[in-house]
Amino acid sequence: MTASLVEQDTARPTRTAAPLGRLLAAEVRWVLRRPRTLVMLGLFALIPIVIAIGIVIADRQMGGGLIGAVAGNGLVLPIAALTLSLTLLLPLAVTMSAADAIAGEAAHGTLRGLLLAPVGRLRLVGVKAFGVLVVAFLAVLVISVVGVVAGSLIVGGGGDVVTLSGTTLGMGEALGRVALVAVWVVGQLAAVGAVALAISSLTEHPLVVLASVLGGLIVFGVLGAIPALDWLQPWLLTSGWAGAADALRDPLPLGGLGESTLRALCYVAIGLGFTAIRMQRRDA
Amino acid sequence: MTAGRTWSRIGVGAALVGAVGLGLVAIPAGAGAAPVLPPVSAQDLVSSVLTAKPGPFNGTVELDNALGLPAIPGAPAQLANGKSTARVWSGDDGKGRLSIPSGADEQTLVSDGSTVWAYDSADRTATKHTLVPGERGPGQRSATDPAAAAAAALQTLGKTSTITVDGTAEVAGRPAYALVLAPNPSERTLLREVRIAVDAEKRVPLQLTVLANGSTDPAVQIGFTDLTFGPQDPSLFTFTPPAGTTVKDEPAPAGTPEGTPGAHPGPPAGTTVVGDGWDTVVVGTMPKPGAQAAPDQRRRDEGGAPDLSSLGTPVSGSWGSGRLITTAVATAIVTDDGRVAAGAVPEQVLTEALAK
Repeated sequence: MTASLVEQDTARPTRTAAPLGRLLAAEVRWVLRRPRTLVMLGLFALIPIVIAIGIVIADRQMGGGLIGAVAGNGLVLPIAALTLSLTLLLPLAVTMSAADAIAGEAAHGTLRGLLLAPVGRLRLVGVKAFGVLVVAFLAVLVISVVGVVAGSLIVGGGGDVVTLSGTTLGMGEALGRVALVAVWVVGQLAAVGAVALAISSLTEHPLVVLASVLGGLIVFGVLGAIPALDWLQPWLLTSGWAGAADALRDPLPLGGLGESTLRALCYVAIGLGFTAIRMQRRDA
Repeated sequence: MTAGRTWSRIGVGAALVGAVGLGLVAIPAGAGAAPVLPPVSAQDLVSSVLTAKPGPFNGTVELDNALGLPAIPGAPAQLANGKSTARVWSGDDGKGRLSIPSGADEQTLVSDGSTVWAYDSADRTATKHTLVPGERGPGQRSATDPAAAAAAALQTLGKTSTITVDGTAEVAGRPAYALVLAPNPSERTLLREVRIAVDAEKRVPLQLTVLANGSTDPAVQIGFTDLTFGPQDPSLFTFTPPAGTTVKDEPAPAGTPEGTPGAHPGPPAGTTVVGDGWDTVVVGTMPKPGAQAAPDQRRRDEGGAPDLSSLGTPVSGSWGSGRLITTAVATAIVTDDGRVAAGAVPEQVLTEALAK
């Protein structure tokens, strides 16, 4: 009943609902004013720096893999740092903000005020999802920018990148590849965030959200590692997460990144759909 | 209430779209209906394959290995069961490029027609190998190029096999004839049939499938999952060792890291061939203990020295004693005195060959 009244209100020509832009700005301010968000972003800035120092100290004892590819190859650092963080740390950040967005507000009793405010429920879901996406975007941006800077200053290697295929990319194209990986990672995090929002809308305990999403990711990882269950792989969000190395191949294969992005978008639709359904019926 | 219901419906719709989309992404598009193609005789098809000039192309090759070989330390990962992919570019005049990703590493082979570079991103080494005139580049001879592998199989097996055209199929989105080679009943072999999908237009083999007795699933299948004909960027076929790379020069054609599949190398010195056709057995001596896997035609020639001592089961007979290694399509016996017999045959044929 409340919902329909609210909807009628928004439909009236005399505007009683806040404009969307102001809502989004308020949500972003609200998210960024939480000290934990800021501390988290600060810690993310340390990840590429720590990797860079570790590689320099190891004195170019190269192993294989992405970390091995960073040695003497500074602009690979942001890609390696993003890939490493994508396994658990970035999802943790996104899940934390999604847990705060609905379950956290419910725990503090502030969700009731939001539900009573002259804002449509669907719009509320959109605003909350935007807040989560901003956190994902900022976290990835911090890692990428610090990664590029630390890669150039600490690891070195000039502006060129030696690809896994043995070709050399110029600075511009290398930065383009970093940007591609960053956008791809934001897409994967959006999927995690949408699922976390759906769980967040079901509970009023933020810890439940954190535990179930991170537990789910670990279970996905375990399922993906069992050879007998390889038919399950295409359904798992995590199965494409090692694919960022594709950005370092030449010519660039887009198949893997494209497929995992499509899969992530499907998870986004499912997560946001469930959140929207659940928020229609939620009282507080 | 109505507005709330509408939003709920939108939510349900979004979730459904997501679930269906996930299914579409996850479940590979099934093979479409078999394309309708003008009938062709097996003889014409084989000869058109042998004379085909497909021109430059690029594509992705997938190897689905169900041989049942255990993972051998030191041997390429592609030998063990599982799927692996490679990207192939082929130009004219022996120009070619092959990229074999493995995890976050990649091996690249580049041939410009006279020089072959092999680059390994794991240890950042580039190996240069100058081709003697007449030798062919990796684009032609590699195991991951189905064209060369299938053409070689056709030539060998034609005498002792029945060759038929068994309908049509769609491979890598292209209509293809299914050419089937089955062993004559007199052949004592583990293989049931070899199926080769031949592109209807360009007449190049698109897929090679080896089926063994007693299993409906292919023992090995190698084929294009995507293939485009057309001019290729010439810069793909040149290679300059990047900065920070260890460059090795390899004058002798000792084989590239990925291995030469031995499309048809002929028996090396010190080996004898017993029998012909499907029940050919190659008997040889080990260059050094545990240095080489069975020199089976369908297997890679492993340049390194994988440890084989832990493989197989002990066997003995009038010929001596040794270890028997069986896979879905081939059997090998490594005797204790250093001889090796291998072939796509049951154990008994091997022991007969060893007793000779």
